[in-house]
Amino acid sequence: MTKLFILAAREYIASVRTKGFIIGLVLAPIFMGGSLIAFALLKDRVDVTDKRVVIIDHSGRIAAAVTAAAEQRNAHELLDQESSKKIKPAYHFEIVKAQADRDVQRVELSDQIRQGHLYAFVEIGARVVHPTEDRDASTIAFYAQNPAIDDLRNWITWPINNQLRKVRLEDAGIDEAQIPDLFTWVNVDGMGLFSRNQATGSVNDALRVNEVEAILVPIVMMMLMLMMMMMSVPGMLQSVMEEKTQRIAEVLLGSVRPFQFMLGKLIGGIAVSFTTAAIYLIGSILLVRHLGLERYIPYDVLPWFIVYMTLAIIMFGALSSALGAVCSEAKDAQSLTFPVIMPILLPMFVYFPVVREPLSPFATWLSMFPLFTPLLMTLRLATPALIPLWQPLVGLIGVLLFTVFFVWTGGRLFRVAILMQGTPPKLGNIIRWALRG
Amino acid sequence: MGFIGPNGSGKTTTLRMMMNILLPDSGRINLFAQPISHEATDRVGYMPEERGIYTRMKLREVLLFYARLKRTADAGRRVDQWLKKFDLTPWANKKVAVLSKGMSQKAQFIAAVVSQPEIIILDEPFTGLDPVNQEVMKDALIDLQSRGATIIFSTHDMSVAENLCDYILMIFQGRKVLDGTLASIQDQYGDDTLRLRVEDGADKLAHLPGIAKLTDLGQIQELRMAPGCDPHQVLTDIIQRTRVMSFEIVKPSLHDIFIRIAGAEAREANHD
Repeated sequence: MTKLFILAAREYIASVRTKGFIIGLVLAPIFMGGSLIAFALLKDRVDVTDKRVVIIDHSGRIAAAVTAAAEQRNAHELLDQESSKKIKPAYHFEIVKAQADRDVQRVELSDQIRQGHLYAFVEIGARVVHPTEDRDASTIAFYAQNPAIDDLRNWITWPINNQLRKVRLEDAGIDEAQIPDLFTWVNVDGMGLFSRNQATGSVNDALRVNEVEAILVPIVMMMLMLMMMMMSVPGMLQSVMEEKTQRIAEVLLGSVRPFQFMLGKLIGGIAVSFTTAAIYLIGSILLVRHLGLERYIPYDVLPWFIVYMTLAIIMFGALSSALGAVCSEAKDAQSLTFPVIMPILLPMFVYFPVVREPLSPFATWLSMFPLFTPLLMTLRLATPALIPLWQPLVGLIGVLLFTVFFVWTGGRLFRVAILMQGTPPKLGNIIRWALRG
Repeated sequence: MGFIGPNGSGKTTTLRMMMNILLPDSGRINLFAQPISHEATDRVGYMPEERGIYTRMKLREVLLFYARLKRTADAGRRVDQWLKKFDLTPWANKKVAVLSKGMSQKAQFIAAVVSQPEIIILDEPFTGLDPVNQEVMKDALIDLQSRGATIIFSTHDMSVAENLCDYILMIFQGRKVLDGTLASIQDQYGDDTLRLRVEDGADKLAHLPGIAKLTDLGQIQELRMAPGCDPHQVLTDIIQRTRVMSFEIVKPSLHDIFIRIAGAEAREANHD
């Protein structure tokens, strides 16, 4: 036992005392949350160049209202109220009559857009006010270089539909003033569930659930675990390979059993991850509390996070160490790093449908697959959805079984391969060594 | 004890089995009169042929690490003593990577002996060392032996084995072919070697009757006599050919015995 901790302590100190660890500690969250940070920093950086748009209104009843709404917007919404700095582009609409040959007009306008003289043109169908009478003649089309993601297209939808409602009321002979709340928009709030306080019997109010709680918190938890795994697991492969090729392993094996050697590395790796996790978790909790957002901290998920992370590092670390032992040169390590990282990264490809519908059969069963359980079950548990307790427990049993299997197989492979020099790590060799031990 | 044998004969494999690093396909290894175990190997110091030491750790730290792995009491004091003995104290807090090759070999040696093991196994301990460091290493080995340690080392340098070893064991093609004290081994081969110096060099000694092999050592020549050959007759024959400066009947050197067992002639004989 003492030797195990001597090995683990060396592994831990060798990892955390390096500049690479300190740099990684700072850079990892930046890389992992880079897109979020970039989004937060750059979200206000919009193109404020004024935009000229042509409207061809075949109905003749909409364009003027859009132009008026744009003028209203240009007059009141373009400048920041405090700094008077322009923060939005002005929209200048020009109403153009439809030509006899529509295609010729469309090509001419498209060419103007390509040449940069025009930003976009909008074509409003002749029967748009009463679309059910003629679907083909009631479309509204927005033509631009990049129409799919366009603030102007999003904005114009509002004045067009507002005007359509007014025109329809007029056609129906209803005075808008008689129904003042007619156009008042009401949102549907996303709320959690009510519960009863077991001690007092009183009802606990349902809490409002927003995107931060539903998506951001689970993703941050999952990314944090992924970061912990990536900071320790691939490094084990590299470090075992170095110990083997530099013949350090032979000296150590004169004092410890191969399994002790591997286990010492795993415990060291776990300690490194715990250190990192403690720094990030404590730092995040203090920061979030400082910002007054404590309600977003999923304290109930933290024990699961710790248990799953520990088992994941043992499971993938055993695989990583064993594959490190079969490498004879750096080139082998490069090619074998991929099969270690792949099962760790695969959950990243499916996290979005899981976090959006954490109770769906897809999310449930995928999070039960032991290689994915640590990341995906933590992701699901961190959502506001109530995950039945049996699911993380079954997931835990699966991960435990896989961990035992990986450590057992990894130990056999490690024992055979650690002193084997010059034998290429072919799949056949790896399977044979693992089976024969 | 000197452990000798040609390359590929199984010396390193045997030493690794003695350290419980490799398991024998058949047979049994006893250490301290007990079947080998990791508890027993804690009483054995081991230095492999290809030196393995963490280069990114500081010298003193890495030696403490190896000492503690062997459950060494008072590890810090022992490490400091050895660093002082090998003039490595100024390098104690430097990373192993910055040490010269000779220094890191000495560091590796300290790692093997710092726990005061009862048996010390060294695989090619003198390889790569300059003469000064070889002497330092030899002195250290003699000192350890005088304190009661049993030292087993493999070597290709027969003169080292002759000078340092009380007992010599040779393996060839995986089998033991020789063991005993130097004198007892030499006795097995008898006084069949003539060592002489002649005025005109080795050319005048070619094709002498009764001589099985001529070895030209430059200033000195060695002649191995065939069984039944009379050394007086050989001397008479030589005097007729050239002027003899010195002449003595000697036992074969370990080098010569090694060549007789593992040299080209022996290999050809084995193939036949």
